[in-house]
Amino acid sequence: MSGSRRFVYVLYAITILFILSVCWLFLSNIGYTDTQSILELFSRPWFWKSVRLSLLTSSVTTIIAIVVGIPASYALSRFNIPGKTIIDILFASVIVLPASTIGLCLMVAFQYEPILKIQQALGIRIVHSMPSIIIAQLVLALAFGIKAWRAAFDDVNPRYEHVARSLGSSRMRTFWKVTLPSAKVGILAGIVLAWTRAMAEFGAVLLFSSTFRNRHETQFSHIANFLGIDRADILPVGMWMEIEGGNIEQGIAIGFVLVIITLLSVYALNKISGKGSQANKV
Amino acid sequence: MIKHSQLKQISWVIFFSAFVIIILAGIGFLITTNILFLGFSDFMYYLQKSRTWINIATTIWTASIATVLSMFVGIPVGYMLARYKFPCQKFMETLIDLPVMVPPAAVGIFLLGLFKTFPLSSATSILGIKVDHALSGVIVAQFTVTVSFCIRLTMASFKTVSPRYEYVGRSLGASLPYAFFKISLPLAKNSLLVALIIVWARSCAEWESLMLFVGGIQGRTDVMPFAVYLDFVGGKLGWALTTSMFCVLIAIVSMYAVHRIGGKAHVR
Repeated sequence: MSGSRRFVYVLYAITILFILSVCWLFLSNIGYTDTQSILELFSRPWFWKSVRLSLLTSSVTTIIAIVVGIPASYALSRFNIPGKTIIDILFASVIVLPASTIGLCLMVAFQYEPILKIQQALGIRIVHSMPSIIIAQLVLALAFGIKAWRAAFDDVNPRYEHVARSLGSSRMRTFWKVTLPSAKVGILAGIVLAWTRAMAEFGAVLLFSSTFRNRHETQFSHIANFLGIDRADILPVGMWMEIEGGNIEQGIAIGFVLVIITLLSVYALNKISGKGSQANKV
Repeated sequence: MIKHSQLKQISWVIFFSAFVIIILAGIGFLITTNILFLGFSDFMYYLQKSRTWINIATTIWTASIATVLSMFVGIPVGYMLARYKFPCQKFMETLIDLPVMVPPAAVGIFLLGLFKTFPLSSATSILGIKVDHALSGVIVAQFTVTVSFCIRLTMASFKTVSPRYEYVGRSLGASLPYAFFKISLPLAKNSLLVALIIVWARSCAEWESLMLFVGGIQGRTDVMPFAVYLDFVGGKLGWALTTSMFCVLIAIVSMYAVHRIGGKAHVR
């Protein structure tokens, strides 16, 4: 039996070592920032504008992802749509696409001659505008959301729906009263996941939307001014700009802010998905 | 004549499927405009450049090394998380998830700081390993970002195997390591293979953390996603698009392989 015990100890040791090294990865950087530069960062209006912009864009992205993604994943989970295999492969491959490819694809698509003409006719310009941040974030948020929501719907036995239908409930009522409540946990986890992903998006936004902080005041719309998000960048891009500009202390401080936001939302995610039976696990 | 109830059924299906079609139209829009923009002759022209192929080769071998390394960590930790309880489990799992959920650019900065502070800075200088502006740094970054991804996937793989088989093996006198290597590992083989492919594809796609940690030198540290960015910034749009097409190809081929093997591991 000692062999078995040794095996368990080795497993424990590897796991604990791994968790410690993750902690060390983040904590070893505390020396690069100090309280003074953190306070300085917090007193900059640019920082708070960026926080507002980050929260706003990722929340709007999540809402769009919910509106489009939940019905789509229900359809993928329940109906025999022709070409489902190809759809599955396409959706899954978005998850493993490099951010630079996503950014470049969006860039080229919206700069393509006929599309550009349509934009000119409408009097808008999508590339390098603030709403483009939402488009860039939406790609990954939607891909991850659909994955989670589909798993949630797959976990609900369609028999419950059949029972409700046979008892005279309408399709709409069955969907709202039976399917959605049963898949509640998985759906909630998918929403948190989509939000976290939208918040963490950096590469695609950098390529597609570029930065805003050095632009002139007149380039922002009244809405942006009203919301107080003019001349701000989403947090990951802002962090990158600070580091590239040589302001390491404040850059690392923004990095820690991002780590704390992620820590909270991932913890919420794990708490939520831990409650569900099998949802969002396998 | 279609009955009223049938009509209702059809409209119900169409309503939900419309959302799938919206998303498909979006993906199709992106892909077709990119292909049309690039054009066939440009694509062929950049295929003949040797750097395109060097980039592909570099990406494939660095990602493979990173994948093997993350599997070495991922299998024991994933098995541990799937089978055993430990204090503050949810919090520990959160810590494990962190490197993949934090914006990868932040991971890049933190890695940079990590390799500049005491234990690792002296260790790398004594061993003579260079991480910045070198391929070893690329592998470190790919490993860091994909390892938590890998743990998630291996944990899901081991959860698909019922622990009962192990109990039976144990009750028949098998030791725990024996039960692990002879029962659990072979049973989870397919989903572990799927995990391996997804992790590999994800390491091929890693770029953001490289930007600050390794820094791009054309012809030395530019793995494919990085080359896309460098070429785009350098104004070589055609080349960037050609490389980006290969990235899309790698993603689709690996997901096709995952589909064929048919594991049900959940990516997150």
